[in-house]
Amino acid sequence: MDKRKVIRNDLILILSLLVVAAVALILTTVLSKRENLTAKIIVKNEVVEVIDLSQKEERDYIIDGINGKLKVHTHNGGIAVTESNCPHQDCVNMGYVYQTNRPIICAYNAVYIVIEGASSTDVII
Amino acid sequence: MKHKFLLPLLLVTLSSCNTNAFVLQKQGFLFNTPGIVLKLFEGEEKNLQDVYDILSYYDRLSDNYLARDISNVYTINQTNDEVTVEPGLYQLLQTSISVSEVAKNYNALCGSLSKKWKESLAKKEVLSQTVIDEELNKMNLTSISFLDDNKVKRSGESEIDLGGIAKGYALDKTLDYLQENELKHYLLNAGSSSILLGEKTSDNGFFTIQLEEIPSKFLKLKNCFISTSSISKQGVKIGDTTYSHIINPSNGSAINVNDAVIVVTQSGYLGDALSTSMMNNTIEEIEILESTLDVKTIVIKNKAIIHNTIEE
Repeated sequence: MDKRKVIRNDLILILSLLVVAAVALILTTVLSKRENLTAKIIVKNEVVEVIDLSQKEERDYIIDGINGKLKVHTHNGGIAVTESNCPHQDCVNMGYVYQTNRPIICAYNAVYIVIEGASSTDVII
Repeated sequence: MKHKFLLPLLLVTLSSCNTNAFVLQKQGFLFNTPGIVLKLFEGEEKNLQDVYDILSYYDRLSDNYLARDISNVYTINQTNDEVTVEPGLYQLLQTSISVSEVAKNYNALCGSLSKKWKESLAKKEVLSQTVIDEELNKMNLTSISFLDDNKVKRSGESEIDLGGIAKGYALDKTLDYLQENELKHYLLNAGSSSILLGEKTSDNGFFTIQLEEIPSKFLKLKNCFISTSSISKQGVKIGDTTYSHIINPSNGSAINVNDAVIVVTQSGYLGDALSTSMMNNTIEEIEILESTLDVKTIVIKNKAIIHNTIEE
């Protein structure tokens, strides 16, 4: 076979592999962000609910905090505390959270809600 | 090109798609904070448990609301008698007194005033100036004596509150442990106000930090402590004014000069005390602290960064 033709074919193969790898990387990144998100609801040190947010199911959860009940709602891949008996209402005012590393915290009821999954942000301060 | 190179090339190329990393993770409720997240990117489950146990130990020692299985701040606050405490609490108390020499707006003896403000704000009421003056007077007349054999004696009526430095101090101790065990890949988040960063296993070791106050702002940091104080965390709005959980010990006010302060240091307790103190510092005062101490800061007011030496 002509040597130049061999080199050209090799280059095409290498470029094809790089394109496949790049597409695979983009797909795994995007899909893991969009589809592998779960919300954990933790009261003190105990995980009381694990919710698969990829189902995009709309649902209410009643959570027993240490000082009262909270109503947690999931909607379109996000999660929010919609009712709480805490005095500051910080948890309710946060609204819907859709991303990892942005926990909803109700210190009054010792409730911690965090979305877990792939994210480019390691921590929010 | 020889075709024998193609298979290794293919494997190397495809392996770049694997973004999964080893991580040991534990979440918990410590320091009255539900958002404790501990991540080790190397080591064993035992290391993770040891880190948690160190933080738990200082959580129990610094608790000023509940009696625990060991003599703690609550125990000391109940009496003016001598109390024998753990060496860990003895040293933590000494540190809390000494750090107020540099962090002028941090005072570990403002516990009673802080509690009065919390009770008042929970009812959406502003604490009266009469009560503030009474509590400030109590605070200024209170002191802690450090006696032999790990005995401490509180004189006066004001309570001790180590909430301003306990998490950072505990993270200092976990850093000692991590270094002794030659672990350098970790992210220990003691509730977002106090974070210890080691090195990430990718991105040249840098972690990506997003600012909650300004979500478009990201920092790249590693091998440091991050201490954050903010009125948005536990602030209460009454009328047009936001009252903070951070009390200015010089005048008893719960209205802070700044909306948020982020301090990056090599010392957890110092960072915690400074971020608390700097909430009531002017930029000029903060610049003096930066020039004398090895710290960098971001100061936020009205949703804007008004001072930033972290990214210089």
